[in-house]
Amino acid sequence: MATEGDQLVKLESSDHVIIDTDRKTAERSMLIKNMIEDLGSPGEEPIPIMNVSETVLRKVIDWCTHHKNDPPPSAEDDADSRKKTTDIEDWDQKFMQVDQEMLFEIILAANYMDIKALLDVGCKTVANMIKGKSPEEIRKTFNIQNDFTPEEEDQIRRENEWAEDR
Amino acid sequence: MVGKRAREDGAENQEPPYKRVRPSKVDHLSRLSDELTLRVLSFLPISELLKCQRLSHKYHNIGADSQLWKSHYYNRFVRPRASRLPGIKDIEQRSENLHFASKASRWLDDEHLVRGGRKTNWKRQYKLRHNWSKGSCAVDEIAVAEQATVPPLVVQLHDGIIYTADQDSLRAWSAKDERKLLAQRSFTNSRHGPPTSLAVDTTGGEGSTSRLIIGFENGAFGLFYLDSKAGQFTSMYQHEASSNGVISVVTLVWPYAVTMTATQLLSIYSFRSSSEDDSNTKMLDPPRLLHSLRSRTVLPPLSTSLRTNESGIVVSIAYSMPTYLSGWTVGIQEVRIDETGKLLESRLASAIDQHYRSLAFASPPMLHHLPGPAIGALATSTATELRHIHTKPTSLSYTHPYLLVSHPDNTLTLYLVNSTAEALSISAGSRLWGHTSSVSGAHVGGRGKAVSVSRRGDELRIWELEGGFASSAAKRRLATGDLSVQLRPAKRPPPESSQAGLDLVNTKDGEEAEASELTLTRGWIGFDEENVVVLKEQSQGRQALVVYDFT
Repeated sequence: MATEGDQLVKLESSDHVIIDTDRKTAERSMLIKNMIEDLGSPGEEPIPIMNVSETVLRKVIDWCTHHKNDPPPSAEDDADSRKKTTDIEDWDQKFMQVDQEMLFEIILAANYMDIKALLDVGCKTVANMIKGKSPEEIRKTFNIQNDFTPEEEDQIRRENEWAEDR
Repeated sequence: MVGKRAREDGAENQEPPYKRVRPSKVDHLSRLSDELTLRVLSFLPISELLKCQRLSHKYHNIGADSQLWKSHYYNRFVRPRASRLPGIKDIEQRSENLHFASKASRWLDDEHLVRGGRKTNWKRQYKLRHNWSKGSCAVDEIAVAEQATVPPLVVQLHDGIIYTADQDSLRAWSAKDERKLLAQRSFTNSRHGPPTSLAVDTTGGEGSTSRLIIGFENGAFGLFYLDSKAGQFTSMYQHEASSNGVISVVTLVWPYAVTMTATQLLSIYSFRSSSEDDSNTKMLDPPRLLHSLRSRTVLPPLSTSLRTNESGIVVSIAYSMPTYLSGWTVGIQEVRIDETGKLLESRLASAIDQHYRSLAFASPPMLHHLPGPAIGALATSTATELRHIHTKPTSLSYTHPYLLVSHPDNTLTLYLVNSTAEALSISAGSRLWGHTSSVSGAHVGGRGKAVSVSRRGDELRIWELEGGFASSAAKRRLATGDLSVQLRPAKRPPPESSQAGLDLVNTKDGEEAEASELTLTRGWIGFDEENVVVLKEQSQGRQALVVYDFT
């Protein structure tokens, strides 16, 4: 029994690889959902996902497949009032065990394809990589260039000392 | 499933040019747009966020994002209060973006922050509130007099400006930054004697200007106008001396002024002139005496306040009151008059007697009328206990609905005043424990924040009394003594000279501890958004304003 959600959707990656998936999975992405709604139906033509390469797109579709039956996000999820926790469910945690390059590609893709839940999982993963490290360790983790002079750095350290006992 | 190997292969084949440069050294995090970086940072607690600001210029800027700090500010300081206050609980459920909405901020008295809109530095606000909640502050002193003055100089703090008046002059100091003298004006008329009371109009004044009223020993009073930008006090009006004696309390809510003499004569004046020219610089016409009252039972310490509404002017006098059986309690009188001075209503309320005990305590009547140390023969154990429970208040501060009284027995009492069109009442008092020595002064603000100081000036505490103790959570906090924090001034670099004002309890240096023995507070304490100011007097008579800075 073919329902609307089972309709075939073709996605085309930035490197021109066509990937087949079903409509329900693809519509985890608000970008694709809106496109399909504008078109009226998925249609025969592949939907170009211009900024996402095949490997990343496959990874994103993996995530969407696992989460395709999740309840739609409520408005509350995006409010600033939400509880800012960096807890990530087990499956997602495993999913995010990738190298840094892929992690950031996923974040960029989730942002471009407008998949809030995946974007949050990605951002939380990065936040967890920051937590508990010293600034020098964080710089090392992400190869961040320290462009402060020692004096500047010292001054900022002192300015921000007030919350350290929390 | 895409394996790691497959991914790497893919990346090698199709990677965009920008990634080709030594992939292992790529700063992936910095590839994220500022918006996405902000999203990552939004998942970090404050301490981690501050740490990220130390990474590089980029993160320093992003980490200072106002929206980020605003949401932390609301989550930590506003939302818990919102759920504490009755009537706005529904905000919690309808959360979405509503907690930034004007309704909530109006209720929570934060509208001045929201109105500031984009200009509000939320990180700064957060830090300020954080420091208040921890009692962390820096200490600074302003020496105001080398000699002892009798009576001691009078002080007020309002909106970052400290006003002092003594025998010779009226002065204004900035409570911020360099704490410099903003303006000074000598009192030319020495017949008035020293000033005995001072009040600032907290309702009016735009920007850098404010109005104040000063009462003198001989019953005279004067209105002054401060333009802090121009660094100038202007005399607006001088009222002649009166036979009614010392003006002990003044209140100014333009265009109304209230004076109260030591002989308990209360006068309400109106400065509304016939011409609508409200120029601040010209001398005012003499005010019209709207109403006066005399009382025999209203005893100091007392506090007057004035508010206007459509039906007229309401003057409230909160005062301490001896009772026959159970020592001191507080009373409040509200006098409502119309603009012509016609008395519309006068009503009284006193606190439900919290101290009423069994008959055993009823025998030594009127003990409270005896002066403290001279009790002598009567100082039996009963008497001692009685005095312990019922000591005369050392100060009284009333900012509706909070009425806070400090006692020499190390405690404070909080009363809640309920004033509606139908009734005026005062709740039973709640004892506040925390001080370990006699409390000489306390001041409560509109949001239930209060600051108290011990007589020796060595112990300051900040109280969060909002909403009183109706809720069970608040009762629990009351029971556990978890209502206040002690001020923890930051250790300063070694003082240039021996500064006796730095003698705070946690400075255990012998020398400074000794100095504290010589330091007294005169019971005056005030605070605004950023500072607590205490007037201290040292044994040599040198007087100084100690400023505790929370920014």
